[in-house]
Amino acid sequence: MTVIKGIAASPGYAVGKLFCIKKKRPEPVANSILNENIGSEQKRFKDAVAVAGEQIRDLAAKLKAELGKDEAAIIESQLLVLEDELILDATLCRIEEELQNAEYLFTKSIAEVISRFHDLQDSYYKERILDLRDVEERVLRILMGWDNNEVVGPSEDCIVCANDLTPSDTAAIGTTNVLGFLLEEGSRTSHVAILSRSMGVPAVVGIGKALIGLSDGDSVAVDGHLGELIVDPDKETIRKFKLLYHKESELNEKLAHLKDIPAETPDGHRVKMFNNIELPIEVDKALMCGSEGIGLLRTEYIYFQHGSIPSEDEQMEVYSEIVKKMDGKPVVFRTLDVGGDKVQRYLGARKEFNPFLGWRGIRFLLANPALLKSQLRAMFRAAAGGPAKIMFPMITGVDELRKARQICRECCNELAAESIEHDPDVEIGIMVETPSAVAIADLLAAECDFFSIGTNDLIQYSLSMDRLNRRVSYLYQPLHPAVLRFMKSTIDSAHNAGIKVSICGEMASETRFAEVLLGLGFDEISTHAVQLPKVKQVIRWTTVSEAKKLLSDLMSFSTAAEAEAHLDEYLIAKKTARKHN
Amino acid sequence: MKKATAVVSDPVGFHLRAAGRIVKVAKQYSAEVMVVFNGRVANAKSIMGLASLAAGYGCSVDLEADGSDESEALESLVKLIEVDLAEPEGESKDDCN
Repeated sequence: MTVIKGIAASPGYAVGKLFCIKKKRPEPVANSILNENIGSEQKRFKDAVAVAGEQIRDLAAKLKAELGKDEAAIIESQLLVLEDELILDATLCRIEEELQNAEYLFTKSIAEVISRFHDLQDSYYKERILDLRDVEERVLRILMGWDNNEVVGPSEDCIVCANDLTPSDTAAIGTTNVLGFLLEEGSRTSHVAILSRSMGVPAVVGIGKALIGLSDGDSVAVDGHLGELIVDPDKETIRKFKLLYHKESELNEKLAHLKDIPAETPDGHRVKMFNNIELPIEVDKALMCGSEGIGLLRTEYIYFQHGSIPSEDEQMEVYSEIVKKMDGKPVVFRTLDVGGDKVQRYLGARKEFNPFLGWRGIRFLLANPALLKSQLRAMFRAAAGGPAKIMFPMITGVDELRKARQICRECCNELAAESIEHDPDVEIGIMVETPSAVAIADLLAAECDFFSIGTNDLIQYSLSMDRLNRRVSYLYQPLHPAVLRFMKSTIDSAHNAGIKVSICGEMASETRFAEVLLGLGFDEISTHAVQLPKVKQVIRWTTVSEAKKLLSDLMSFSTAAEAEAHLDEYLIAKKTARKHN
Repeated sequence: MKKATAVVSDPVGFHLRAAGRIVKVAKQYSAEVMVVFNGRVANAKSIMGLASLAAGYGCSVDLEADGSDESEALESLVKLIEVDLAEPEGESKDDCN
């Protein structure tokens, strides 16, 4: 029995067998061929290259239609890689000279080209190895008759472990049979962490290389609260974890009675409780937990889940499904927030030295008007089926907001001219997540309909900490005086302008901060589904005056550590008092 | 055989897109064109060969062309590397597609 420490990314307990996702790479073995088969082997290879070329061309055409020529060129250059004489001609020659199978000799040709890049110092050229690997994998899959779906999920209840998982990986794995997630990479705010919390399964991430020795079927126990996993647990530990799991389920059942009761403080202040989701399948869970609306619909999943660019109609269908399922409760769509940790190479968002300060959020959208328009048109159309709002990510100035609103108007005019059903009166809001947006919150509030504070990015940008860098992750300090002041002044500016503010970052889902959020004056709190009843319970126990007092005490400290210590003391004292009552 | 020298005008050097444009132009000629940089040699019709030269912005590369249309090939390629690569593809009127 060994205990391995990681980052606690999603609460809960799980015991079970491990299911390791190794991105299966086709690894061809050498087979000899006969002299008389040279021609047919060469033809088999040429045919596979032709099919791969078609696939790449299709992808490029789709990209061109959506994003323009520049982005398509990145994929198109893979065509030239495919037809490169160092690869195509070299492989054909090898088949004739070495009398072995195409798969094996093709890999050999690729390996030789890769070795040319290996000794280069410049990281850009080193990354070209990825292009080669991409092309290699595509051709090998065709030659070996593999389908395109790389990752498959477990067929029975398992704890899924992997190096890291992309949105398209998790979409392929699905939610059934997954008891929990273990990742070598990642942080509390990475994709799998967020997904796990909305699924209500435990996740431990950032475990590092300790996962390497484990394999399929190994028995593990996961503690998502402490961020630990126990490999090969003894009987006693398994029993303990099963008990903890049942206790937690019981608590959740107890909270279930809160479903239809509003989040109202004892002194009559009402806060709206919303959920963050990314896929239609999450709507049921949200409604079950008592969600009054979707406070943040991240559209990246929907966009990337199939590995290709979805059309306006495809997007509209998914958005409509969510709006209809919510049955009159509002849905806030956030336009694509790519860049940073979500960079998708085929969207033309290339690797950057400072991705979080780079081409992302609204910057990326405004530079790709065709993409933005197809998304917005899909949203305006879906809004015809029920109340919806649209918000833009990573706004740093009023000009970005104006440009985005202008494009919204264009979309509505076009839809009207085309006589396509849509709702032109959708509220338009912004994510407040950069220090500049905080500083000019009054100016932004004058030109939009609502604010949503994204605390993950706001904390990252306020404290200049890269949330993916484990060495500085200790700076993720929601109670840092700068963060508290930023949130307070943003909310005050919004309320002065008469618009509402919601919170949709991770901080919103942590019960220990619920009173702080109440004290700050948020109108809406958007959490992960499973956390909603817990946060609501805290609000129902706390008066606004208590919460305001707590906030002013916390804001009087000079450091995050002092504020944290005070909050801990406060919460313990309150818990004890409640027990005595 | 004819020789020429060109200074790389692409702000990010011989990355894949730039290499791709060179290949497209080189393939319009029957002449064999080799590009030499820093002791490495690559065929101008091979994108991976060109990219693996890792010739950055402002680097000077040598071109050697051999074939019936060697002069025209050299002229086009020098212009492409020294001038057109500085602009995104499609904005140059000499761009061949």
